[in-house]
This record gives sequence, structure tokens and C-alpha cells, in this order.
Amino acid sequence: MKTSRRSIVRAGLAAGAMAGLPRIARAQPATSARTLRAVMQADLRVFDPIWTTANITGYHGALIYDMLFGIDADFKPQPQMVGKYSLSDDKKLYTMELRDGLGWHDGTPVVAADCVASLRRWGSVDSGGQAMMERVSDISAKDEKTFVIALKEPFGLLLDELAKPVTRCCYMMRRKDAERPATEQVSANIGSGPFTFNQAEAKPGAQFVYDKNLRYVPRQEPPSGLAGGKMVKLDRVVWENIGDEQTAMAALQSGEIDFYETPPIDLIGQLESDPAIKVDVLNKTGNICILRMNWLHKPFSDVHARQALLYLVDQNAFMKASFGNPKYYRTVPSIFGNDTPMSNDENTDWFRHGVDLDRARDLFKQAGYAGEQVIVLQATNFAYMSNSEQLIAGQLKKIGVNAELAPSDWGGVVTRRANQGPDDKGGWDIFVTADSDYSHSDPIGVSSLSMAGMNSWYGWPSDDAYEALRRKWADADTLDERKAIARQMQGLAWNSVGTVLLGQWLAPAAYRTNVRGVIGIPEIIPFWNIEKS
Amino acid sequence: MGAYIARRLVSTVLVMAIVGLFVFLLLHVAPGDPAAIIAGDNATPANIAAIRQRLGLQDPLAVQFMHWTWRLLHGDLGISIFSDVPVMRLIGQRLEPTVSLTLVTIVYSVLIAVAAGVVSAWRAGGIVDRFTMGVATLGFSVPVFVLGYALIYYFAIRLRWLPVQGYVPIARGVWPWFVHLILPSFALGLAYVALIARITRASMLEVLAEDFMRTARAKGASTGAMLLRHALKNAGVPIVTVIGIGVALLISGVVITETVFNIPGVGRLIVDAISNRDYPIIQGVMIVFSGVYVLINLAVDLVYTVIDPRIRY
Repeated sequence: MKTSRRSIVRAGLAAGAMAGLPRIARAQPATSARTLRAVMQADLRVFDPIWTTANITGYHGALIYDMLFGIDADFKPQPQMVGKYSLSDDKKLYTMELRDGLGWHDGTPVVAADCVASLRRWGSVDSGGQAMMERVSDISAKDEKTFVIALKEPFGLLLDELAKPVTRCCYMMRRKDAERPATEQVSANIGSGPFTFNQAEAKPGAQFVYDKNLRYVPRQEPPSGLAGGKMVKLDRVVWENIGDEQTAMAALQSGEIDFYETPPIDLIGQLESDPAIKVDVLNKTGNICILRMNWLHKPFSDVHARQALLYLVDQNAFMKASFGNPKYYRTVPSIFGNDTPMSNDENTDWFRHGVDLDRARDLFKQAGYAGEQVIVLQATNFAYMSNSEQLIAGQLKKIGVNAELAPSDWGGVVTRRANQGPDDKGGWDIFVTADSDYSHSDPIGVSSLSMAGMNSWYGWPSDDAYEALRRKWADADTLDERKAIARQMQGLAWNSVGTVLLGQWLAPAAYRTNVRGVIGIPEIIPFWNIEKS
Repeated sequence: MGAYIARRLVSTVLVMAIVGLFVFLLLHVAPGDPAAIIAGDNATPANIAAIRQRLGLQDPLAVQFMHWTWRLLHGDLGISIFSDVPVMRLIGQRLEPTVSLTLVTIVYSVLIAVAAGVVSAWRAGGIVDRFTMGVATLGFSVPVFVLGYALIYYFAIRLRWLPVQGYVPIARGVWPWFVHLILPSFALGLAYVALIARITRASMLEVLAEDFMRTARAKGASTGAMLLRHALKNAGVPIVTVIGIGVALLISGVVITETVFNIPGVGRLIVDAISNRDYPIIQGVMIVFSGVYVLINLAVDLVYTVIDPRIRY
């Protein structure tokens, strides 16, 4: 090939154009200082926070709906939509008056009748709400702004239940939405909260957009947890659904997103070393990894087999297998978690004793174990579940138990765990899941702390004495009384073993250092008070 | 020809009906309950049962299949169990990113692969040939997600030339649209380039050894005319065939590429729907994909008659 001056000039021009290409390619709109782009723990699939217990729907609710009460940073209930309230001397009548300036996103004012319908709908499905409704004789509106909750007997937990951040949170909806049965989804997305749902920009499975509610009147107190003034300092919050963890991390590092709620914990070191990114544990109480056994069939229908599991679990090993860095995990001996007012050390000798394979083998023998198959459901798409399930199967095999993993995705596990039949009819013996540590402060609200037989959560544990105490706990007037009852409950719980704890971990969030004002509370990520520079 | 096209279109409907039945049965036999997923982890069995009732999932399988088929015959793919949005609308929202990614990939792949295949055949055994075949082997061997992450790391994080992820609709500017497709289409297309380049080379080598090529050269035809007018046209049928077959490769690759590069296309839609057991979406997308695939095969058959006038149906 001949080289001419003309071809050299052409090559030079082409090279110049190529050199300019990178700058052109990057000339894309930067994320606005008034828009926060966030990747959350899951994709938002259901819009109705009363219809589902999915956490992501609870987050969605916190953006567009408001609550009568909200817990503050010290987990104490404080008025939010409610302005004034009073409790009668016999502790059976709450009178609540809505504060001024509350309005729905459709422009209509929030009235007491909306709240009455919302309370009834929430109370029909939420376990804490159901406990309240069992004691309620009447909920009714007195006038446009005032409603009353009349009780058959005092219920000291009422405000805590209304204020809790745990799904299902007690969000207020318009009367016409709230009058629908809780088994029907409300997808109007009209609330009275600090953000409005931007229907036009919604792309299910890809992104959801929330705009600042310009008509929202925040409380005057400084923000604290779900309480205080919900001051919105952004114009828009965009939830990007980036399903792939590596891609989400890369997007955060390149500045295409501002906030990543649950970066993979084994790659946290990479983010910690990036000066443009802050790694921050927002939920300081973390999550508890729990193992459930099926009480309906052998071997775990026998208490000895359930007790044996306590001597098979080295919580540190379980946590290390899934979370690696000890900075982000701890052991947890109390059924009420590590950091709640109910946490205690009653009947935790098994924890202090540690792993003891011989003892576990003996206990299985006392249970009359005769080589039956033990099906361990393995959720392969959640690393911490899958790892824990493999570990427990391994431990069981070490003591001669015929454990077999049944791998599927989480969708398969949630279906199979509902099966009450024996293993040969599609049943199961063990599965692993997690609760927030904070949720274990409320044995009425969290399903895994119920032991009401067929009326309890998967595994169907049954302990009448424990259940009597649980009811007594709900009726107790003071925190000290509840703490004392909690000790008794735990004493029984570690004898009958409804749930085995595998440890507690903290899930750090990661965000760009130009993002400030993120409020850290359990269960909810509030987007008010956040600003970007 | 008209009768042939009509026959093929009728067979397309039959193929889609078989696909529909197969997908429906496969989905409902597979473990998983959308009601349990909707209800969330803390839901009680009673909550889940109520949702199942509401969604009509308690009905016998035959009844559910008849309902679905009846709606399908009326052009209704159903409503997403989770988002309550019609499946047709969801697919419509996701079509542009997938079509864009696929078209850009096909266009650049065909241009590069055919050129590389022709040059490799022309200079068989030379450096260009060895390099091209080496790249083609690499293209076959490296999975899309590995290549995707490598491209993101180097071009988006280290060099910061290109965006990591996302999609910009073409209505918001051709350049931003194109920039967001460079890395994903490269990752998606490498195996496709490899496939077409190898077939082009093999087919061209065969044609270049024919007597009429020697005659063309003896008549003084230029290299360009010889390669493009005489050889490539005669080597075209297998190349068009592999381009058509390769579309299936692309459709499966799109699912992974859209996940790695966070492109909100039909591939992502079906991946999410599978993990949610959102049956109407899975069924709807499978029907659409199979329809597209059958129609592409029909188009390929018709292109044969243009390339080789001796082919008649």
C-alpha cells in the first residue's frame, strides 16, 4: 500500500476525531443536584403497603403516605399527622385530632373519616393491628379533624403499633382507597406524604419517580426517625432498578447513581476505598438470620430434635460464611435480638456452651430419630440463605442425620414452605430467612415470634404457655412489665425452640459523599432531609 | 410465492399455539407461587390464600388455560399479577430498548463480520486471517456477562469514556441513545460477529475455488469486483442463513446483556417475571419472542429468492 500525504492527513483527522470521542461520549446529562438516583434493595412490584409485607413497598409507602404517629430516633412514638391527642383516665379512649395543613395529593383535604377507614383496613391484616382491633370497641370520626379509638380494655402498645416502621406500617390512605378490602390492591398511589408518585414517569421493573410534594406541610420539630418535620430538600427521587449488583456498584462509582442501599457485603471493601463514596450502616440494629423447623413432622415434631439444632450452630461460622467481615456481623443469643429493649439473657446456657456435636447426636437419639430424610430448603438466589442452608445440612450430616438440600430460587422456597404435608408430599423440614433485629422488639408484630400452632407462621410452632405470656406482654402497661414478661417468654422459647438464631448482621448502604442528611432508622429509608451538593 | 407466504403465516400461528401451550404447562408445573411472593415474607398462610383467590390461581389449570387462550385470541396478553399493568403495555414500554440493542448489534456485526470473513478468505492463512479467526474463537468462548463486566470496568470506570449502564430513548437524542448502546451491543455482538465471520470465510473460500472465479480473474476483473460482485453474492445463501439463525443467539444474549447493562428491555422484563412467577408476562413475552423468531425465519427464506433467483417456492 502506498503512503501519500493525503492519506496521512486523512489518518490525522480520523485520529483527532477519535481523541474527541471520549469527551463527547461522556457529555451526557449529569445527575441533577436536586435529583437523587437510588438503587434500592429490591424492585417495587406491589404499590399497596397494606396488601403486602414486602419491605420495598413499605419504603414506597413512606415516600407517598403519611402516618398518624412515627417512631423517633429513640424508638419512641411521636405524633406525625396527629396534632393533639389524649387518653382517658381509664386508658380506654384515645381522642386524636389531625394537625392543620394535611392534604391528599389529589388536592382534597385529609379528614378524620379517611383515618378511620385506614385504621380499620390496616387492623384487618397487620398482626399488631389485629392485636389492637381485638381490643377495640369502636373507631369513629367525631368531626372533620377528630376521631376516637375506644378500647374494651387498655392497650399500652397502641401508639407503638401505629408508629412502627415495620411492615405493615400504619399508613393513612384516602377513605375511598381504604374502604377496599385489604385483600384487594390499592394502586392509585395517592397519599398525603412528602413526595408524590409520578405516574407518567413510572416504568415498572425499570424505574419509579417521586417528586417533591409542594403542598406538604412538615411538622416544625427537627426530623428524628419517622417523627419530626419531613423536610424535603430534593425535587425528585428516582428509584433505578439495577438488578445486577456489579453493575449497580459500577454505576455508583461512576456517579450515575447517588445511593445504593444494599451493596454486596463481600465487595464493601472496594467501595470503602473509594474517596467519593461513603459506606454507612443506616439500620444500626441490623438483621437477624433465623432458621425455622417444621413442627408438624418428624424429626422436628420432637422437642429434642429442635434442641439439638442449638448445639449444631456456631453463629460466628454461619455469619462468616455469608458476610466475611466481622465488622458487619455479631452473635445473637436473645429471641428479642441484640439491640431492643426486650433483649435479655434468660435460658441461654446453650449459647454459652457452644457447638457440641455429641450432645446434638444424643438429643436426636432421644427424639427417636431413625434415619428419616430431613429436607433443607435452599434458596440459591440469596447468598446468606444458601450458605446457611448448606452449612446446617453439613452439620446435620456430621451427626448422622440424613439431611438433603432442596435447591430452588426464593420463589420456590416461599411456595414450598407453605406446604404442611410430609416430605414425600412436597413438604419440608428446615428453611432460613431473616427478620430485622428491631422487629423482634415486638413479639406481637413479628410473625416469627408467634407460637400459636397452626395459626402461627411457617413451621407452625406451638407452645400454649408462651402464647399466654405473649398475650400478657401485649396487655402490659409499662415497659418494665413488658421486659419482665419478655424474660419469661424467652425462658420458654429456648426450651421449646420455635426458631434457631444464626447470627446478626449489619447491612451497610453506600452513597456518594455529596449526599448528606440520610436518616438511619430500622426498616425504612426516609428520603426527606436528604440533600445533594 | 403468495401462497407460500400464506402457508408460512398459517404455520406461524400453529407454532405460536404450540409454544403457548408448552409455556403455560411448563410454568404451572414449575414450583413457585406468585401469591406467596406478592404477600411478602411476613405474610400468613391466610393472607396468601386470600391473594391466590383474588388472582384466580385457585382455579383448575384447564380453566386458567382456557381463560388465557380466550384472551389471547382477542389480542389480550393479560395483566401483570404484580404491577396490575396490561402485559401488552409493559412489552410496548420495553420494546424500544430491545429493538434498538438488537438492531445496532445486527448492523455492526454484519458489517464487520462479513468484511472480516471476506478479507480472511481473500488472504487465507495470512496474518489478517489468523487474527480474525483468533478473535472469532475468543468471541465464541467468552460469555457475554464476563465480556460485559470487563468492558464496564475498562471503558466506563477506568477510562470514563462511556456510561456504565442504562438506556436513553432515541427521542431524547440520537447521540445519547447511541452512546448507551456501544458497550452492550459490543458485548452482545461479539459471538454473533464470530459466527458470521467464520461462515463467511468458509463460504467465500469455497466460492473462490470455483472455475468461474478463475474466469473472472482471467477477464481482468478487479479484486473488489471479484470479491464482492462474484464471490460474495454466490456465497450469500449460507451467510443469510446464519444471520437468521443467529437472531436466536441474540435473543438469548439480550436477556443477559440487558441485565448486565441495566437496559430496561424485554429481556429484563422476562427475567424479573420469572423470579416473580408473573405468569402473564412470561407467557406474553414468550409468545412475542417466538412470533418474532418465526417471522425472521420466513424473511430469511424470502431473501434467498433475491440472492439466488434459482430458488423458487
